[in-house]
Amino acid sequence: MTSASAAGSSLSMEITRKRKGSTDNQDLKPASLNDVEMEEDQNRSDEEDQHAKIKCFREPHSQIEKRRRDKMNNLIDKLSAMIPTCNPMSRKLDKLTVLRMAVQHLKSLKGSSNSFSETSCKPSFLPDEELKHLVLKAADGFLFVVGCDRGKIIFVSESITKILNYSRTELIGQSLFDYVHPKDIGKVKEQLSASESHPRERLIDAKTGLQVQADLPVGATRLCSGARRSFFCRVKYNKIAVKNEEKDSHPNTSKKKESQKYCTVYCTGYMRSWPNSHLGAEGEGDGDKQDSSQFSCLVAVGRVHSSSSPQLNGEVKVKPTEFITRYAMDGKFTFVDQRATTVLGYLPQELLGTSCYEYFHQDDLPHLVDRHRKVLRSKDKIETNCYKFKTKYGSFVTLQSQWFSFVNPWTKEVEYIVSTNTVVSYDNSRAGRSSKKAEQSSNSKTSEECKKSLPVIPGISTTSGTMVYAGSIGTHIANELLDFNRLNSSPSSGNVSPFSLPQEKSPQTLNQFTNSVPNGETSEMEMPGKSTSDDAQAASFSAGDSLMGDNSNLDLDSVVGPGLSNLTNDEANMALFMRFWETDTNLAETIDLEEMHWSL
Amino acid sequence: MMTADKEKKRAISREAARKRRRVETDVFEDLSRLLPLQPSVRSHLDKPSIIRLTLSYIRMHTLLKENMKTDAGAGDATWVQHGLEVEEGFNGGQNVEQKECWAFMQSEEVNMYLRVMEGFVMVLSTEGDMIFLSDNVSKYMGLTQTELMGHNIFEYTHPCDHEEIRHNLRLTAEDVWCSQKRDFVMRIKSTLTHRGRSANLKSATWKVLHCQGRAKVCMASSAASCFLLTCRPLPLSHTLLSTHTFTSQHSMDMRFTYCDQRVASLLGYRPNELLGRSIYDLCHTLDTNCLNKNHLNLCLKSQSVSGQYRMMVKGGGYVWVESHSAVIPSSRPSRSRPVTHQPLCILTVTYVLSGVEEPSLQLSLDQTTDKYLS
Repeated sequence: MTSASAAGSSLSMEITRKRKGSTDNQDLKPASLNDVEMEEDQNRSDEEDQHAKIKCFREPHSQIEKRRRDKMNNLIDKLSAMIPTCNPMSRKLDKLTVLRMAVQHLKSLKGSSNSFSETSCKPSFLPDEELKHLVLKAADGFLFVVGCDRGKIIFVSESITKILNYSRTELIGQSLFDYVHPKDIGKVKEQLSASESHPRERLIDAKTGLQVQADLPVGATRLCSGARRSFFCRVKYNKIAVKNEEKDSHPNTSKKKESQKYCTVYCTGYMRSWPNSHLGAEGEGDGDKQDSSQFSCLVAVGRVHSSSSPQLNGEVKVKPTEFITRYAMDGKFTFVDQRATTVLGYLPQELLGTSCYEYFHQDDLPHLVDRHRKVLRSKDKIETNCYKFKTKYGSFVTLQSQWFSFVNPWTKEVEYIVSTNTVVSYDNSRAGRSSKKAEQSSNSKTSEECKKSLPVIPGISTTSGTMVYAGSIGTHIANELLDFNRLNSSPSSGNVSPFSLPQEKSPQTLNQFTNSVPNGETSEMEMPGKSTSDDAQAASFSAGDSLMGDNSNLDLDSVVGPGLSNLTNDEANMALFMRFWETDTNLAETIDLEEMHWSL
Repeated sequence: MMTADKEKKRAISREAARKRRRVETDVFEDLSRLLPLQPSVRSHLDKPSIIRLTLSYIRMHTLLKENMKTDAGAGDATWVQHGLEVEEGFNGGQNVEQKECWAFMQSEEVNMYLRVMEGFVMVLSTEGDMIFLSDNVSKYMGLTQTELMGHNIFEYTHPCDHEEIRHNLRLTAEDVWCSQKRDFVMRIKSTLTHRGRSANLKSATWKVLHCQGRAKVCMASSAASCFLLTCRPLPLSHTLLSTHTFTSQHSMDMRFTYCDQRVASLLGYRPNELLGRSIYDLCHTLDTNCLNKNHLNLCLKSQSVSGQYRMMVKGGGYVWVESHSAVIPSSRPSRSRPVTHQPLCILTVTYVLSGVEEPSLQLSLDQTTDKYLS
């Protein structure tokens, strides 16, 4: 660096230090300097801005100035929009006038409302009372303090009224356990207890995820002030709309569980001890003294979980005449919603493990095979036409389904096919012919009939040597896909099936992603190839609405663009993640996992 | 060619400009004095910041006035009434410690709340301006309240998260009637260093924030509508795990690579039965979307909180659970920690929220019989 620029940059350092009020390197010096210095400073800071820019590119001075002016004008515009006296003005006001009006406005605000008056000791943007309202409104939470020994409610914030519909008077002095679901009492007691019934604490090393033995003596962390607690429990809430007038609405423990309404509350907080009043100051660190003159309590925030009746938690809306099923890639049922029973007669366990093709009417096979093939290759939801599904009693119901392949976001392999099935009609026709075909026997006569009556399905061999069982159709289709993928592995999709044998690692292909077949061993992840992390960096979040809606599955490619799937060895892996987790101008700084402690 | 006349004109205009700037500076100073700031902070503010903070002040004032109006409408006189009752009732029957506790909590309620939540409050405009931040924001982000207030959130968050943030800042018809909730994860710049000190913005790192809150619609003017959020950095801190939680480790595709013993009493599976299985196989099909979103959050942002979903219990039925997960970077064996090479993986703590529901129901293949296990 030349001496001139060195001087410039040392000056700039000074100025940077002073400029605490702004993180924008375009902004000028503090407003309190007088104008003589101002002009000189203007030049200096221009220079300094230029130095800042030199690293990346040479920006003309006028551009920097223009940007600064634009920013200021933008702010002035926003300000005038906020000030009532500015608004009626039809023409745009000049900067100085707007500022003057702002001063007037602030003066009037401070004068009129007492809620914004500053205290001389600590001016804060929001007085505590306002902040409290704000915070509680945002979080739907209530603060509470319970004693550890008997669960006595010592304090509860006003917001509980709106959340659980109890008044504070009702709750203070009561035991928390009177309000917790009977099955959760044990859990809550454990969180509150100071007992030493637990064995040596187990911790998980945040860096490796492995369990390690802690050398802490029993109970030390439990009683420590500051020790955190986090748990969910079901809490009764007061269903009666009228507030606190009816004392008889107070729930008593002899009521049956069914008549009580519970909602799930997430409680998070920490242990605190309240010292004897003679001691005076709050004892933060003396929790480990099991002094009887102190009492331990839990200071926590309770928040009702997003849905008090969990069924409403953003799931796919299913109508009464619908049921959901899940198929493995080859069409075997791996999940059957209980609603299917009323429609099909089968209990879920009777269907699980069997192939859907065993129930499809033969006339519908070509169409459904086509749909099956399509859904495995598409990211969209695939609609079937109406088709007949054989019920337990031999009759057929007409269904129409919507299928989509759920793809693992990481491996981009199909995990399973989700099917939303709608009943079109409970029509019983074609009972006779179909029931014969329905017998899944290895009786050669039946299978010959099947063979004869089975329409030619493209791609599935019907040569004389082959016995075509309905069930094998699905397997065949699945294998088709696997073979296809194996032969045509393209750069933008990881194509190793979890069902197949381990692939050979081919050094040429950039993206083979090998998983050892799960055999009860932990799976190792090996990712040979080169790093292509630049692609990932350039990508942007483009999934848009699909992330929020319940549309078909999302995968990383559509979200981040190609590149993330081209995973490599672990180092490049880390580099890739680092790019996501850091700013552009920063070099890698590892994630601070010291904050992450998990203790058992 | 610079004539004497021209030079004179130039000097006059330069003087006029200086005078204008002086006046302007004075007005700025007046404005800054009206803002509730520490003197030390005030003296270092530049002009744009003064305007930003003024904007925040005005907006917050409007918001709170609105708040009080709506609260008053809802009959919150009862709150005051309760407060008095409690005060009276509390003078008898409580021991000294409990009274102290009460008094302390009353006065420190907000601070306690923020401390327990391990987070800060953010008020965002529909355009993403950070109208207000509680002053403890510096504890989590390094940057202070005055440095951030009035700036736009998009300047501080990861570009890949902008779309999601924008989505959450859109007001819907439902928001107008019943103030819908917001719950999302985003990455924000933090200037905190390992030693807890604050570096400058150029060397900021990304911090993952879990933001939860509500939309607050202003009927008078939609521009004044905003979002009230509590923001907590993930991962959440040291917590005592109960018998109703279990920890597990997964490869990046969400297959189990480890699971602690507790899962046996909670879900009926022995840990080794789960190894290699995908979490997607073990959940209720209707919750696939929830887990998908969770998985994506993990891949992109390295931390996630799943929301409630159902896990199938072996032998029948299901339980409602919620998982908190984080991606653990891969590590090489070192002198201090001579364990085998650990690849990139996901560490999860799963809380079981309910008892076993519908225990006789077998809905998934894994529940039916052992012969299907690999």
